[in-house]
Amino acid sequence: MSKFLKAFLFVSLVFAPFAASAVTVASWGGAYTESQQKAYADTYSDPSSIVFENYNGGLGEVRAQVESGSVTWDLVDVLPSDAITGCDEGLFEDISSEIAELSTPGPDGESMLEDMENNGLEYHSGWDCCVPQIFWTYVVFYDPDAFPGEKPDSMADFFDTEKFPGKRGIHTWATGVIEKAMVADGVSPNAVPTVLANQTGAIDRAFEVMDRIKDDVVFWSAGSQPLELVKSGEVIMAIAYNGRVGAANLAEGENFEYIWEGQVLDQEYLCLTAGAPNRDAAIDFMMHASTPEAQAEQAKYITYGPMRASGIPIIENNEPWGPGGVDIMPHMPNTPERLKVSIVSDPQWWSDYGAEIDERYAAWMGN
Amino acid sequence: MEVTISTAELLTTDGIPLKQSLRKAERRNKLRAFLLVFPLLLFIIVTFVMPIGDMLLRSVDDSQINSVFPNTFEEYKNWDKGADELPPEEVYKSLFFELANGDKRQIGKALTRMNYAKSGWKSLIKKTTREIKKIVKKGEEPVSYKDTFIKINKFWGDPTYWYSFNQMVNDRSSIYYWNALDRTFDEDGDVVLQDEKRRMYIKTWLRTFKVSVYVTIFCLILGFPVAHLLANLPLRYSNLLMIFVLLPFWTSLLVRTTAWIVMLQQNGVINGILVWLGVISDDGRIQMVYNEAGTLIAMTQILLPFMILPLYSVMRVIPKSHMRAAQNLGAKPAMAFWRVYLPQTIPGISAGGLLVFVLAIGYFITPELVGGKDGKLIGSWIAYHLKTTLNWGLCAALGGILLGIMLIFYWLYNKIVGIDNIKLG
Repeated sequence: MSKFLKAFLFVSLVFAPFAASAVTVASWGGAYTESQQKAYADTYSDPSSIVFENYNGGLGEVRAQVESGSVTWDLVDVLPSDAITGCDEGLFEDISSEIAELSTPGPDGESMLEDMENNGLEYHSGWDCCVPQIFWTYVVFYDPDAFPGEKPDSMADFFDTEKFPGKRGIHTWATGVIEKAMVADGVSPNAVPTVLANQTGAIDRAFEVMDRIKDDVVFWSAGSQPLELVKSGEVIMAIAYNGRVGAANLAEGENFEYIWEGQVLDQEYLCLTAGAPNRDAAIDFMMHASTPEAQAEQAKYITYGPMRASGIPIIENNEPWGPGGVDIMPHMPNTPERLKVSIVSDPQWWSDYGAEIDERYAAWMGN
Repeated sequence: MEVTISTAELLTTDGIPLKQSLRKAERRNKLRAFLLVFPLLLFIIVTFVMPIGDMLLRSVDDSQINSVFPNTFEEYKNWDKGADELPPEEVYKSLFFELANGDKRQIGKALTRMNYAKSGWKSLIKKTTREIKKIVKKGEEPVSYKDTFIKINKFWGDPTYWYSFNQMVNDRSSIYYWNALDRTFDEDGDVVLQDEKRRMYIKTWLRTFKVSVYVTIFCLILGFPVAHLLANLPLRYSNLLMIFVLLPFWTSLLVRTTAWIVMLQQNGVINGILVWLGVISDDGRIQMVYNEAGTLIAMTQILLPFMILPLYSVMRVIPKSHMRAAQNLGAKPAMAFWRVYLPQTIPGISAGGLLVFVLAIGYFITPELVGGKDGKLIGSWIAYHLKTTLNWGLCAALGGILLGIMLIFYWLYNKIVGIDNIKLG
């Protein structure tokens, strides 16, 4: 036993210096982190210097680390509303000058931020502390075998239980559902964020549409659930993260169909924690992970789209890009024609109204 | 004969009075004992007392925002809401300078806080600060600060934004507790009900409470016979049975929860068997999961060992002769059980009941997964505010109320049963 202990101490002493200099990246785990490992870390100049750690999202731990002064995560993979809040509160470090100086420009010399704007995004304060990762989306999907006749193809169909009787799977929080309900009510997808932000009573309108299906909803709370719900026939269609549907189609031989209309695109960022122990190495990795090439590379392993517009042509021109010679573009959420029928979720608006709407959503759900 | 009693003090061999020497030895022993428990005491203080104290402090603390806008808040208190629709010029002026000169991060933190009081503050302050900095850079001094603000954004002329200051202007505040009970402050600082559409905390409290009580009762009903069997079967059978109890206990929570979904869903195992047996028709499949029934079933199974184990360890030491003696003296089995056996298991019932109840009242992962629309218990909201909205004040208040409920239960329990009656074995 004591021999073992000695060996253990020896090993940890020898490796401790290396462990300390590794850049720790907190991310969501599962297939997503695996794709990051392959696309960003394995292609990095020093792959062993990047260590991924799992977390469950939100800024709770980051704030605890920063406030207590013991920061262990150099980088955190966050949703845009958290990027904004984290940057505003100083939980993430403002590195806008480093980003301007060190980020890789697009093929036509456009800066990284311009490249993102070309993808339908607007500047928010998260851009000062974070670099872009991927577009993921809340998309409705179904099993075509469950619809021998006419198949649903719009948000109006999703919210119409007379035309398509059967249960729907939707998640237990409001983001994504509200926007889809607006589309079902006839708002053009691209206009949804503006309508939500400027029209009084827009939220009430969304809830009225949601009322139509309320008695036919199975609520899910974990990303794997909607797949299971549709597969087992518990529901006839469901909202899901598109990466999960893509994985089921590509790796598990499922044949699910997407309803791209009314998909709600959300962003994902990699942010630098204030007081990160390996700040400079972390910034270097951020710059690598946000090149168009690295972003396109990630699409090989998970069906999330590059947030830099110039990542898309790399995939398009090199098809079959997917695993085992499969075309990946049919599963990419942010192709130009799909963007036309999509909602790009407005993180600033959600960070303003999210808490209140989530409470209202819960009240609606539990009634 | 004369007996002389020495009045001189007893001395030890080295001449020190015995009393003193004994006292010294005793003190040394006390110190030694204290030093032995000191690490544990320190551990408890650091990991238990301090965090709870910190949590309770946070639930009433609003000092951060008050350190960012001290002048604005001071001036705000002078606003006569009956006389003027909008706050006086001084409020706008103070806010102008506090936004222009304030530390960016401190303002960032403050506006996260402000957004709890009224949604929309975040963007409003951020946009306004940008504009104000431009004005300051140009070196202009506004003629009217009020008009400048309203020109930047029309919301500055909306008194409802200003009314929400009522929730923040004090260093120490009860607002988080009121929020946790679906209440808020109106323009005069009086407690009023929250907007009807977003009232849900009271409902969630009641649901949490109901689920916890039901789960505790179900665990008792199901656990009691099992514990009794465990305690009374011959060793080789009881060992096997014990493994059945412990095996799920060691299995991952998520695996067990998912297994219940597979069992209970409409195309799941149980419904399948019932249809196959012809008990129900194919269209009449029972909804047993993604509702409250699912929550109760899954939580009961998951928490069952916490009831069985304390019951078992108490039952094991109840002599079998007691029941026999009672029956010998003429009690029918039911009576013997009721009057002789059951009272002796009360310590186990209490320990198991309290354990299950305490665990159940803070549960959230399982109910979220299997509870569907009824799956959000108060624990979910604590996690939500801890991670997503960063509203730690509200988290702390929810936690504080939870702690309060537990203390009330503890007190009631002590009154009715007596806390020294609780036993884990």
